[in-house]
Amino acid sequence: MNKGLLSGRNALLAGALAATAVLSACGNDNSSNQAASEGNNTPAAGGDQVTLRVFSNLPDRKSGQGLAEQMVIDNYTKENPNVKIELETLAEEPFKNKLKAYMASNEPIDVTMVHGGAELNTLVQAGYVKELDPAEYAGEEFSFLPGVYTSFTFNDKLYGLPRNSDYEVIYYNKRLFEENNIKVPTTYAELIEAGKQFRAKGIEPMSINGKDLWSFGAFFQDLVIRVGGDQNLMLDAVAKKKDFTTDDTFKKAAELLGEARDSGLFQASYMTSDYGASQNLFTQERAAMWYMGSWEAGMATNENLPQTFRDNVAVLKFPVVEGGKGKDTDLLAWNGGGYSLVNSSKHPEEAKKFFDYLMSANQWAKSVWDIGAAVPAQTYQLNGNESSLQKELTEVLTGATSTAGSLGLDYGTPKFKDDAQNLFGKFFAGGSTTEQLLSDLQSAAASQ
Amino acid sequence: MHKVLNNKLAIFLFVFPGILLFALTFLAPIILSGYYSFRDTLAPGTNSTFIGLGNYTELLFHDSRFWLSLRNAVLLGLGFIIIQHPIAIFFAVMLDRIGGKAEKWFRTIFFIPSVISVVVISKMWLSLLDPTFGVFNKLLDSVGLGALKHAWLGDSSTALVSMLVILIWAGFGWGLLFYYAGVKGIPEDLYEAASLDGASGFKLHLRITVPLLMPVITVQITLAMITALKQMEMVFLTTNGGPGDSTQFLAVYLYNKAFSASQYGYANAISILFIAVCLLFTYLSNKLTRSDATEY
Repeated sequence: MNKGLLSGRNALLAGALAATAVLSACGNDNSSNQAASEGNNTPAAGGDQVTLRVFSNLPDRKSGQGLAEQMVIDNYTKENPNVKIELETLAEEPFKNKLKAYMASNEPIDVTMVHGGAELNTLVQAGYVKELDPAEYAGEEFSFLPGVYTSFTFNDKLYGLPRNSDYEVIYYNKRLFEENNIKVPTTYAELIEAGKQFRAKGIEPMSINGKDLWSFGAFFQDLVIRVGGDQNLMLDAVAKKKDFTTDDTFKKAAELLGEARDSGLFQASYMTSDYGASQNLFTQERAAMWYMGSWEAGMATNENLPQTFRDNVAVLKFPVVEGGKGKDTDLLAWNGGGYSLVNSSKHPEEAKKFFDYLMSANQWAKSVWDIGAAVPAQTYQLNGNESSLQKELTEVLTGATSTAGSLGLDYGTPKFKDDAQNLFGKFFAGGSTTEQLLSDLQSAAASQ
Repeated sequence: MHKVLNNKLAIFLFVFPGILLFALTFLAPIILSGYYSFRDTLAPGTNSTFIGLGNYTELLFHDSRFWLSLRNAVLLGLGFIIIQHPIAIFFAVMLDRIGGKAEKWFRTIFFIPSVISVVVISKMWLSLLDPTFGVFNKLLDSVGLGALKHAWLGDSSTALVSMLVILIWAGFGWGLLFYYAGVKGIPEDLYEAASLDGASGFKLHLRITVPLLMPVITVQITLAMITALKQMEMVFLTTNGGPGDSTQFLAVYLYNKAFSASQYGYANAISILFIAVCLLFTYLSNKLTRSDATEY
């Protein structure tokens, strides 16, 4: 798993460099997209009028990944005038829930966004999504990085394609650190200390979406990686090959997690902050840091956000733990979001055509990178207009010496994910000790 | 007309659509729920195995979160009955007494929270109670009670109480409306006659208003318990049952089990118990508040 992504990074670098030359010949305008894609798609002229239903978790269509998705849809409908795309979008959590309702009623969506791992596994077991042939997506047209199918593969069968390389980082506000004369942390002790200093100055140190709960699980996994230096430890424990209660790494990581809770590192309202609230706190420069994933690269170019914020947002690797075996180049990276074809689609052929178009490297990957919204799961071309945030994020990925491949929470069943998330919630609400957290996690893993 | 009502075919034609609708939208889902509650399944359409009473024994004997959410729902119901309703009755009487333009004005003011979207109210309370920029904490600060500042919804020691206050506040308009309609229906001459007999003030209301409102109170108590058990939107939008499980309510728990944890069979077992609990409370509240209809 790790090896796969490692070589993936090399491919990415090579691809990025090589493609700069190719692209400089092509240019960036829409006509080049059209020229490139027309060769791959059968001409649509004369075809019957078709309406495809697409379900997505990107409600903001004017910036970030929503804009990238919209660009691809616009490109496609322009090239295929007989196809109309009926789009439905919902925010993250409502999206997940409605998708399950759709699954239960076998709603004929054509293409849907999916979350790899536990979430997709439920859709697979319900027979709601189509199996894909990996061979079809192996070529240069798609240029997927090696090892990115892990969370989309069940029983050696592929059920979806990833859209991004996701990894956890700490976004921080350079201005707030400089003006308050606080050292940008490179070690966990420094992070806790920076938190105390910000708090003393009345600034929220680190924003986190505590209400959604999953970030706590990621934060814990980051600590496990830093303490133990082993990317597989957390995943093995979820898979019942290791024990949460007997391994010293987990004990130490849980203690450090407790330190974050007790030292006031997170914003005061962290247990009631959902994704949007935690992001607002950071982008309005009321919090110095935000613990979030690489998919937020678009913040630097989002014109709805204050200019001072956009000028000062930067990326920090999760700090190393003193005495820990992990390096700051051990990256908690996985492929979380992607797209799948739905079995009950009323226009399977047209849906497949659109799906392939969407996933081709010169559509989603190119669009999302060009507008600086996220880091794709495909080799992408540097266009020279990257924001400094994008460059920093790329450096974090290309500089990584090992990657996790999966988020621990997503590695088990949906029941485990729900149980574990609630256990972290209980822990952060002060309702359990480190020992209790670990023994509860062990029971959750055992009973999944 | 009489002839038509004697015609069995006519009776069938009139009644059948209603029965069909009832069966399809009410009975069938309950029966299906019952079916799934005996199975271990991720969702309808997925592979499932029959596990008998497995879900129920797990729920009743091993699931502390279920009991916690039930306890919270009962607490909320009691909060409605003991706190919200007496205040609602008081204001209903006051509204009735005040009369004129002020009556209409206050009636509108009191009802405003009931017509605002639940999402808006939830977001409003999240902001009001926010520990960093919330008005509530700022107020505490300004009156020198800064030491009491708190993450009201984010701390498990205060989350439930805060949640109950919000829910009681949000449902106040409806409670008031029912009682107000009840009070309006009491003939004025009863009060006049009682005054002539020497009754006044609080006694007047205790002897006349409350007994004559009894049918409304009975309905309201039943509704309060059911509303408390069904509580979903506001909790989901503000705390989602957290922090920890401190504001977990039955409907939210059921929803999360079905959709987040993909324990569909288990969630259906919760829903069947949910129906049983609702029926039990309806029966009990009817029994406890039953009185002979008061006539005037």
